[in-house]
Amino acid sequence: MHKVFAIIKREYKEAVYKKSFIILTLLMPILMIAFSVLPGLVILIKTQKQTKIHVIDMSHEIYAPLQKKLSADTLKSGQPRYLFTSLSVYPQQIDSVLSSEKKLIAAKKIDVLLYVPADVDSTLQVQFFARNVADFDLTSRFKNEISSIISTKRLIAAGIRPDLVKKLTKHVKLNTFKISKSGKESKSGFLQEYFSTFIFIFFLYFTIIMYGAGIMRSIIQEKTSRIVETILSGTNAFQFMAGKIIGQGAVSLTQYFIWIIFGLGLLFAGSHYFPVSKQFMQLNPIIFLYFVVFFVLGYLLFSAMYAAVGSISNSDQEAQNASFPITISLIIPIILFSFIVKDPNNTLVRILSQIPIFSPIIMFARVNLANPPLWEILLSIGILILAIIFIIWIAAKIFRVGILMYGKRPTLPELLKWIRY
Amino acid sequence: MEVLNVEHINKRFDQIQAVNDVSFSIDTGTIYGLLGPNGAGKTTTIRMIMNIIAPDSGKISIFDQRMNDSLKSKIGYLPEERGVYPKMKLIDFLIFLGEIHDTPTSQAKTLARQWLSRFDLISMAESKVQELSKGNQQKLQLIGSFLHNPELLILDEPFSGLDPVNVDLVKEIILEFKKQGKAIILSTHMMDAAEKICDHVIMINKGKKVLDGPLDDVQQQYGHNSVLLEYGGDGSFIEQLPIIEESNNFGNFLEIRLKDGVDLNDLLKAILDKIRIFKVETRRSTLHEIFISLVKGGDSDA
Repeated sequence: MHKVFAIIKREYKEAVYKKSFIILTLLMPILMIAFSVLPGLVILIKTQKQTKIHVIDMSHEIYAPLQKKLSADTLKSGQPRYLFTSLSVYPQQIDSVLSSEKKLIAAKKIDVLLYVPADVDSTLQVQFFARNVADFDLTSRFKNEISSIISTKRLIAAGIRPDLVKKLTKHVKLNTFKISKSGKESKSGFLQEYFSTFIFIFFLYFTIIMYGAGIMRSIIQEKTSRIVETILSGTNAFQFMAGKIIGQGAVSLTQYFIWIIFGLGLLFAGSHYFPVSKQFMQLNPIIFLYFVVFFVLGYLLFSAMYAAVGSISNSDQEAQNASFPITISLIIPIILFSFIVKDPNNTLVRILSQIPIFSPIIMFARVNLANPPLWEILLSIGILILAIIFIIWIAAKIFRVGILMYGKRPTLPELLKWIRY
Repeated sequence: MEVLNVEHINKRFDQIQAVNDVSFSIDTGTIYGLLGPNGAGKTTTIRMIMNIIAPDSGKISIFDQRMNDSLKSKIGYLPEERGVYPKMKLIDFLIFLGEIHDTPTSQAKTLARQWLSRFDLISMAESKVQELSKGNQQKLQLIGSFLHNPELLILDEPFSGLDPVNVDLVKEIILEFKKQGKAIILSTHMMDAAEKICDHVIMINKGKKVLDGPLDDVQQQYGHNSVLLEYGGDGSFIEQLPIIEESNNFGNFLEIRLKDGVDLNDLLKAILDKIRIFKVETRRSTLHEIFISLVKGGDSDA
């Protein structure tokens, strides 16, 4: 154990003092700030501004009810969200007024021009001019309100009593709730689900591939610098491999630890200054526990595979090719992500979440999205642990022979012989 | 006292029998030369002793215990393929090597400083290994192999790449270890160096042990004594003597190789009355010559 510890210590020290480690450790918080603050900031900027609207209402029936309805919308500051001005225009002046108003929009003097033709009742066409027509909130708000004004008017014209119309045309409001395992309800939207799960999964994928491939590269370096035999003069191949895997794992957990401390600080500061960002960065301790469990298990599984590949390769190029199948099996869950989000309890997804090379990422995604039954989670973890023991056993056998081989890469039958040996 | 006992070990790699039924034993306070051409099976034999690869059959014991990983710390091994961690500091590299041989960190640090001073590298202790010259890296690796004070030292080509000053330093240290009662195995193909320092020689060729014995015995048994003779008178009869294996006549100067079991006295008895002898000089054949003759003999057998 003393020997394994010496190797862990050496790996750890060397990796932590590396420039790449320091840069990545510092860079990630900057990305975190970008991720957490930007959406909040965008929303904040949007809500800060009043929207100036000019209305040309040739039908003389839309402006008054529209203004009445939208005047209820206010900004955080308490000011009304929309500032309406009605323009009275003679029919023959329409074209010249429209063109001068458009210039006002381009010059950012006003934000929106709404032109309601006199025959809106029959044509059902309203013109909406703005610099940004992709603002879904704004356009849908106008569309809904104008539609409802016109349909109310038509219903009344058809002889239905106004109070009845009001009752019949009430809008449905969609309130979204997420039910968690404990039966607790929390207000949550698709965007938030998608966002936090994707970030977690991307981190899983990114760190497993980074640290796994890191082990592979460092083994190739040790092979090329011919240090391997010197180390094997004191330890055996298994102690050597275990020391490397645990050492790199400790490095990755250190990095996570730094990020988490930073993230929590950011969350605290964020919820203080940008209330909106809290919505995107909700940290559930249980989810977090699963994250650590699946990261550690996934890391052990993949780092053992990468270590075996490193031991049979003579150059980074060669290792890159040989490790392609491993990399692919890590990418598949990422490719399937949108499919998993759509239906996390789909039979195929449930099966994939039990297969060891996919389960660290897919089961974690399901835990996040679908609250799968506990037995499924435990089964997945159990299978994963068995697979890790099996893979480490095989990897150690390949490692033991491969580490002292130089020159050609062994063929598959040769590898099988080593494993049986 | 017996330190290492190798009994009938075999190792086969695909089509090649790398080591074929090799046995020998190593005692304390003795320097052994493990000699043989490239590809003879020296490194494979050493790797099996170090438990880095397992023999197909046979038994290896260290201090009467069957070799296992926990005994590795009793052995100091300098592989022929040496490497370093270029980015580590000299002192950290040595401490690390001490630690993987079960030496406590603080003790490894003290020993590392002592040895760095002895090898004139102490001023570089806090520098990175990659800043050293090749020769100095070699010295560092050598220190690493015996920092943990092992009972048995196996050095694979310890002199290659060293300048004459450092060759002498390494020889001095090896002799010191011998005095301390350690057992030392030098694996080398540099015969003149082995001849000067080894007490006992084990030769391997094509996976088989071809020779095993104390250096003196080996030279007596396998070395052919050459005699250089300067004389006056008619010496043509000398070449016809039955005790002569081979001769070379330069007129008044004769180079003679005697047959096995014949010594200079026998030759002198046979020629003393017939010619005038001006000068006689004997020369023992070198390990190199013995090695070459044995290896060539092995070739003709095959």
